[in-house]
Amino acid sequence: MKIAEHDIRLVKRVELPWWNAALISIFSIVVALILFSLVFVHSGVNPINGFKEIFQFAFLNRNGLPLTINRSIFIFLCTCAFIIPYRAGLWNIGMAGQLYAGALGAFGVMYLFGAKGDPNLYIAPGIGIPLMMIGAMLAGGLIGGIAGFLRGRFNVNEIVTTMMLNSIGFWFVSYMVKEGGPFMNPVGRSESFDLPVSVRAPLIFGIPFTLVVALLLAVLLYWVFAKTRIGYKIKSYGHNPLAAKYSGINPQVIPVLVFVLGGMIAGLAAYHYFGAVPGVFKVARNYAEFGDLSFYGIICGLIAQGNPLAAIPISLLFGGLTNGGRFAQGKLQMGFGVDYALLGVMMITMVVLQFFYRYKIVWIKPEKEISDVGIIR
Amino acid sequence: MWELFVRSLDASIVLAIAALGELIGQRSGVLNVGIEGVMLFGATFGFIVAQTTGDYTTGFIAAIAIGALIGLMHGVFSITLGVDQVVSGMGIWILGFGLTTYIGNPYTGPLGMARIDRIGGMSPFFYLALALIILTWFVLNKTSLGLKIRSVGENPAVAEVSGIGVNRIRYMCVIVSGMLMGLAGGVYGLSYNPVWNYNFLMGWGFIALALVFFSMWNPFIMFGGAVLFGALWQLALSPEFILPGVMSRYLWRMVPFVITVVVLVVMSTRWFRTRWGAAKPEALGMPYRKEG
Repeated sequence: MKIAEHDIRLVKRVELPWWNAALISIFSIVVALILFSLVFVHSGVNPINGFKEIFQFAFLNRNGLPLTINRSIFIFLCTCAFIIPYRAGLWNIGMAGQLYAGALGAFGVMYLFGAKGDPNLYIAPGIGIPLMMIGAMLAGGLIGGIAGFLRGRFNVNEIVTTMMLNSIGFWFVSYMVKEGGPFMNPVGRSESFDLPVSVRAPLIFGIPFTLVVALLLAVLLYWVFAKTRIGYKIKSYGHNPLAAKYSGINPQVIPVLVFVLGGMIAGLAAYHYFGAVPGVFKVARNYAEFGDLSFYGIICGLIAQGNPLAAIPISLLFGGLTNGGRFAQGKLQMGFGVDYALLGVMMITMVVLQFFYRYKIVWIKPEKEISDVGIIR
Repeated sequence: MWELFVRSLDASIVLAIAALGELIGQRSGVLNVGIEGVMLFGATFGFIVAQTTGDYTTGFIAAIAIGALIGLMHGVFSITLGVDQVVSGMGIWILGFGLTTYIGNPYTGPLGMARIDRIGGMSPFFYLALALIILTWFVLNKTSLGLKIRSVGENPAVAEVSGIGVNRIRYMCVIVSGMLMGLAGGVYGLSYNPVWNYNFLMGWGFIALALVFFSMWNPFIMFGGAVLFGALWQLALSPEFILPGVMSRYLWRMVPFVITVVVLVVMSTRWFRTRWGAAKPEALGMPYRKEG
């Protein structure tokens, strides 16, 4: 293609330096936000005003910032749940199902303690909280593990399985918390029983301790993928399962491993939102919204290119955007679903820009007086 | 009982048309895991247009048109740009999920139009679906165009050498495939379940995807699967027909999804594969780029 005098060519990349990848990611976010401003225009809102409202509420507002951080922790954990299978070349779109299971796991532990209908029950927090987290992780890991096992053992497409498990999980939670289900709130509002006061998560500056857990997890995962043998095995399975098999990596174990780990982290995300975020402390009626929110994990994981440390700022940005989006939608009287629209636009821009991970555009300046080259000279 | 059967066929039709679209695309070697997204677009736009104009035909045309557009988009991503087809499909699904939630929200609620007339007790789309399935089978297996499509899906390099425009065929297939998925969405949103709600497909697109794997790329087996699945779905919605009061209605809703997984497992086993011989297109999911 030619523009003016310049020749533009697409050249296949041989390698992708990390700063280049970061640049593409930032570029894709900017493009998505520009596209997203069409949503503001469509609602008759000045996009600059719209973004100002979003960012001010999300990052500068005393009430908004904790909400942003809580959402970001949730999105970050979902991102990790996506990243681990992604590094093995597998698609976990079942964070929703895994986190529903995790929520039931966490509250299942409390149910066994007899916490249903007794919010003043005393359970030692040093025992109750870790047990809830373990319950959530076991349940999430179990649901994730189903998809991993079926993939490893029978080569069943994991996208279909995880999606089916999302629907199964959705209805199962409905069964558990609605219409007289075992976990139903005795006061009866189609949500689970309240968490006893004694096992509500400790806060650090108004933020649940799960923030620390999430940050530690990021470092741990980064280290696992960069330095350990198991991380190497996962990555090499992701590059080429067949080659990995011949180099002695068990192709049945890796899918199970990555999906169990992913599911456990998704379970932790459920614990974070339903058991640790101030003001929730139950499997809320709108639990499906958190299932939807977990899909941000896919986008964050893709933008971060599977790097858990890079996922931190991206999760923070998306936590802020969804939270601020909700706020702006109310304040500027826009239709419901602004944050969903952002989700969609973001994803598709991301897909287009995937192209640039593999190709780069090269501008070639025409050399001057090229036609003069001849015998005469 | 007959009513239940007819109603379950209505569900089967939606799944069959969507899966047929996916099947055509896959036969040409392009995987689209974003059926759910295309169907959501078709359902939502069909719903909005039909409600605004008060005319079903315009609604269906809108559904098909938006499906074609999304199909074209998937084509540009996965054929021209060579983006990973799974990534592109995921993108289409989430785009559909996110954007239709926002766009369709003001239209939440019932369509409020007279139901589409039935022909001989059946939904007119039943006949349409049958005709499309037979047509697809005929084109794929009995015409030179079908041979081209299949060869592009099996080995694009060889097809190219023998003078077939690989990208042209693939573009044609993804657009037709998008149109069918959009139509399926329209049938869902205008005929099967004409009450708009966000994400009201609840994973039907993914079930259609599973149906294509199940069908071993044969339209007739696919239709059989769709009929079976529609019946299951309807039974799960109204369990009082067979086992009144056995389980909570919420648990019944899980059954079709569980069965989808079980069926996929059974047909993925080596025993099943060697017994029936799966005809998966060789080049499925692989981008093709002319050398040189």
